[in-house]
Amino acid sequence: MDWKGYTLIYVVLFVFATIQAVVEFVGLVDSAYWLAFGIIMVLSVVKAVGVAAYYQHLISEPRSVTYMILGGTLGAIALTGAAAYSIV
Amino acid sequence: MPTTSSLQIGADDLAFPRLNALSYWLYLFSGILVGVSFFQGSTFAGGWTMYAPLNTPAYIPGEGLGATSVVLALIMFTAAVTMGSVNFLTTMYRMRAEGLRMRDIPIFSLSINLTVWMMLFAFAALLAALMILASDHVIGTTYFQFANDGSTLGTSAENPGASLLWAHLFWFFGHPEVYIVFFPALGAMAEIFQTFTGRRLVGRKWFIISMVLVAIQSFIVWMHHMFLTGINLPIKTIFMATTIGISLPFDLMVFSLIYTMAKGRVRFKTPFLFSLGALLLFILGGITGVFLGAIVLDYQFRGTYWVVAHFHYVMFGGATALIGGLYYWYPKMTGKMYDEFLGKVHFATFFVGFNLLYFPMFIAWETPRRVFEYPADLQIWHNLSTVGGFILGASMLVMFYNLFVSIWRGEDAGESPWKYASTAEWAVGSPPKLENFPGLPSYASGSLEFLDDEEVAERTGKPPGAGVAADGGTASDGGTARNIRAVTAPATPTAAAHETGGEGHASHASFWPFLVSLGGFIAFLGLSGVRTGSPVYVGMAAVGGLATVGSLVGMTRESFHAPEMAIAERWPFEGVEKMKLGMWTFLASDVVLFGGFIGSYAFVRVAYGWSDWHHDLIPAEHVTMPGLINTYLLLTSSFLVVLAMVAAKREWRGATTASLAGTFALGVGFLVNKGIEWNHLFHIHSEMFPNGWTLSTNIGSSTFYLTTGLHGAHVVVGLVICGYMTIRAWNGAYQGDDKPIEYFGLYWHFVDIVWLFLFPLFYIL
Repeated sequence: MDWKGYTLIYVVLFVFATIQAVVEFVGLVDSAYWLAFGIIMVLSVVKAVGVAAYYQHLISEPRSVTYMILGGTLGAIALTGAAAYSIV
Repeated sequence: MPTTSSLQIGADDLAFPRLNALSYWLYLFSGILVGVSFFQGSTFAGGWTMYAPLNTPAYIPGEGLGATSVVLALIMFTAAVTMGSVNFLTTMYRMRAEGLRMRDIPIFSLSINLTVWMMLFAFAALLAALMILASDHVIGTTYFQFANDGSTLGTSAENPGASLLWAHLFWFFGHPEVYIVFFPALGAMAEIFQTFTGRRLVGRKWFIISMVLVAIQSFIVWMHHMFLTGINLPIKTIFMATTIGISLPFDLMVFSLIYTMAKGRVRFKTPFLFSLGALLLFILGGITGVFLGAIVLDYQFRGTYWVVAHFHYVMFGGATALIGGLYYWYPKMTGKMYDEFLGKVHFATFFVGFNLLYFPMFIAWETPRRVFEYPADLQIWHNLSTVGGFILGASMLVMFYNLFVSIWRGEDAGESPWKYASTAEWAVGSPPKLENFPGLPSYASGSLEFLDDEEVAERTGKPPGAGVAADGGTASDGGTARNIRAVTAPATPTAAAHETGGEGHASHASFWPFLVSLGGFIAFLGLSGVRTGSPVYVGMAAVGGLATVGSLVGMTRESFHAPEMAIAERWPFEGVEKMKLGMWTFLASDVVLFGGFIGSYAFVRVAYGWSDWHHDLIPAEHVTMPGLINTYLLLTSSFLVVLAMVAAKREWRGATTASLAGTFALGVGFLVNKGIEWNHLFHIHSEMFPNGWTLSTNIGSSTFYLTTGLHGAHVVVGLVICGYMTIRAWNGAYQGDDKPIEYFGLYWHFVDIVWLFLFPLFYIL
């Protein structure tokens, strides 16, 4: 990827971060918490995937590298999800 | 483990020899720190599970400094384990002999591979737990403490999730740990079965699939250790199912071993006897474990001798296989044969003693664990156990005598004393030479061959001695299935090559790993007592910290050379050069570390009440803007790193330097902004928080400061690297070679990604 592609990614990341803050500034977190939660977390995931794919160049590495990182991520999600569910 | 596996996969060394030395020294000093803890009043006395809240200073009698030292020592140990895991995995995926597919590597090495994968992720969760616990000890966060009065560090924080949080984190590590301990034994058992039946493992493919399944399933069974806690019934039921499910692949492996015996011609040598004994013990241990996996039965059996007996049949059963492995590889390690008769005497007394010790415990299962008194009618079984214990202990003396004396009196073992041994370690002398092989190992022809210098040069198209890739992996791989790098080590390394660390087997002699670990030891010992304000402890923490950082800089600046194999099998990481793969593997572990921290935050927040959390625990002064500014700063810094790569590739020295300097400046800006924010929060005076919002104020403040603090520490580490690289770029480095910047970028972007989740979780939601 050349500098133009990197710049485009940067702009998208910047805008998404701003949208996350705007979601709070307009009061959505107070009026519809779980909707705001969903929007904000989805944007975070999209941003994270964007950074990993294009800045860390996961997109051009063998898929096995992605699977390795996904393995760790799944482990962390399993721990968090199951532990939290265990006391609900 | 690394020695045998390296030989079996055809590698002449580990991927990162100096990192291996660092792992070792950290491991050693962690043990010394535990030893020192006994002289700090008292050591940690909360049992091996370290359950909360008894693991926190408020609940530890006296000053509890020894307990803190143990927690810090375990952090050191876990760091060593993580470094080892990264090293072993990189070695196995970058340095296998040509033609040796992953599915074809010897079963022992495969078991090690899976063990290390489990270690990579499980120990990261333990590291998270220990770092949080150390934080409770040293800087006064309140993760694992209940409300209490008159404590040294405890506060009146309401934290209903404290105790269960530790149990979750610990057992998420603790259950995979069971297999981490057992898998090498399983691999040794299978290897020995093959050699002494003269037959390939029956259903080898399914044996491997079963091992992979167990390795994965090991991460979804941890709550069966928590059936008697307050977790809900649906989750217990799920974990009962996953627990019983994990016994199925084990069944398959057991049947595979049994059929291998049935199909082969068994020779009852000592290694085989111990492996067969281990199998029998494991079958009994496994079956009795299924009882404990059932919720209702666990209610009855937990805390009794049933658990003690089951545990020892499984884990000591594993140790039995490892004793078999010791006899099996003893001739390879020493070049001498042990005495076979004494070996068999050892096995007979060992097996009788073992079963006399542990089997009566099943019968006397109603005996409570850790309690001196038990019903009088069970005494006979306890007496038998005592006799068995003495026999078992005495049997080990036979082994020590045998193995010790055989070093001098044993017959020469030659390359291989075992007729049907087929793995690569038996194709070289005993003990193996430092460079392992007389040439570059290759299985390309279908059997093991050693390529000499000329053959390698011919294959790679480079003259012998044309240079090798550096440890830093500055050369790029071709990205093909069989990467051919610059040039290999010579077939017969010379003494001169050893001394100079030149083209042959690189010299590993370096003081820096030792000094880094020594500095870490002093720093951790100092940290154990900084809460007392003692100048001695504070001084040690400062001096040790400086020594560690200084040694790390020295290690970075030291010229070190670890050649990669010129021709090797690298699936599934072809094209991912050694350093990059090491970095990615480390990051996978770091994902779990941060996952542990973020998961802990989510857990205690759910326990407290997700929606009440923000209103009860977080001050109004904690606003979004500082987090948003820091998000912008980090995103921009990441952008500059990739621009630095572009500039380096195009050999624009000024732009490379400016981009890296910009990254550094933005990182510093991030920390300054955070410092201003923290300082403001520390000193707020509101009705809810008249004394400021500090680390110890409540569980909300503890999670905020510690999680973002861990992230901040990652930023600091990144800045040290970035500052160093900026200076190097200024002096002309990296032009035409953006790889080092890419490796740094992998880390820096990861830190950025973590923040992308911390920002919403801690500033918006």
